Amino acid sequence: MRDTVHQIINTVLANRGKKLIDSLNDSMRLRDDIGFDSLDLAELTVRIEAQFNVDIFEKGIISTVGEIFERLK
Amino acid sequence: MNLFYHDHQTNTHASWDDLIYELNQTSISSNICKDSNTYNVFKCLILSLIVDMPITLLDSDFTENEVSELLGRTNNEKHEFLLNKPLIKNKKELLSIINQNDHKEWELTLFTSGTTGIPKKVKHPFSTITRNVKISDKHNDDIWGFAYNPTHMAGVQVFLQALANGNSIINLFNSTPLQIFKLIEDFQITHLSATPSFLNQLTTSEKKHPSVKSITSGGERFNPALMQNLSNIFVNARFKNIYALTEAGSLFTANGDLFVIDETDKVKIVNSILYIHQSLLGNFDFTDEWYETGDIVEVVSNNPLTIKFISREKEIINVGGYKVNPHEVEHAIKSIKGVTEVVVYAKSNSVLGNIVVADVVQDGSLTESDIRLQLTSYLQEFKIPRVIRFVENIELSRTGKTKRIQK
Repeated sequence: MRDTVHQIINTVLANRGKKLIDSLNDSMRLRDDIGFDSLDLAELTVRIEAQFNVDIFEKGIISTVGEIFERLK
Repeated sequence: MNLFYHDHQTNTHASWDDLIYELNQTSISSNICKDSNTYNVFKCLILSLIVDMPITLLDSDFTENEVSELLGRTNNEKHEFLLNKPLIKNKKELLSIINQNDHKEWELTLFTSGTTGIPKKVKHPFSTITRNVKISDKHNDDIWGFAYNPTHMAGVQVFLQALANGNSIINLFNSTPLQIFKLIEDFQITHLSATPSFLNQLTTSEKKHPSVKSITSGGERFNPALMQNLSNIFVNARFKNIYALTEAGSLFTANGDLFVIDETDKVKIVNSILYIHQSLLGNFDFTDEWYETGDIVEVVSNNPLTIKFISREKEIINVGGYKVNPHEVEHAIKSIKGVTEVVVYAKSNSVLGNIVVADVVQDGSLTESDIRLQLTSYLQEFKIPRVIRFVENIELSRTGKTKRIQK
């Protein structure tokens, strides 16, 4: 699951021509550290939902990588 | 030609004499018609006109639940009745009944095919539904390629135009492009009326089709590039663009994308949205003087009043407060080399309300990020589809329009 989420995050970054991330840790902030804006977050939810069948923003905003894994549990 | 109707899918081939024989043999009919065979829908319509009784048309693919919802909600009951009608001798006599009677009791009930919400019931008297039917000797030999759902407004109007002039009807709806080209050749079809999405399939023809003299497009936004492509294939065709509403029938026609409005007192434009006066409408649950069409128009000139349709208001995708016109995005994606077809639509999203999604048919040379990166030169970032799906073909809806639905 971790690798898949990492890959999805990089797909979203690549689609915007942004710098990819080498490794993923739970404390990384989606906007500040990874560099996502609202459009990227919207895309991230769609791609994660397609893969895991969970809308990670359904129950409210999340801001870190760790919270993604919380929602996917 | 003595042919009334040909349908290769149902293997139906009926001459006018066959039709008249069957009409004479029919002694019971119903006030509600729901039939997957277009020929039977046409017979229902003709019988209702002969006996001057109201008729309700339902899409044949409505589920039982949808039917009970639609009819129950409107207190409409199906009943069968014995037909009290004269024996019809020939085509001439049938056409005189259709064209000369005033059809005072006849009324057509249709349900609008809106993509959201419950379909709305609309009733039309004979006068509004035949507003643009032209009867004359020059139409005697017209051969129609039928390309609409027969239970929808556009289909009924094409049928009545063909019926009133005693023409032949060749059913093309739900056929593949190759089948359509063969039917055009075999029957020397002269008239086509279809949505731009339907006509778009025909641009793949490798041959010219000189028999087609007239092409009418409607139901979706007019596309000048499509007309240009079609004119290379249908070399003898005149092109006409039609603006119609299920609520009103055909309203305006144009040669290109500019509609000159004659009855200026019957339209008004407020905040770029077109409103139609109630005197042009059929009967439905509506009591205001002006009906909001939901169509966004641009006034090109005030004298004479000339308008251009920009988009459907409800088609506008709201992405976190930013408005996206799907036509604009489709146009940008189509301009990318390797893309053959595209449809853009909204997908609901927990972050932004909606996001823009595109289904793309391509030649295999493109990746999703190729398209996304190229679009950054054409479109503002919020208009660029967040998800691009590569598909084999773009599915047409049951109205013949490209599906643009909330998924």
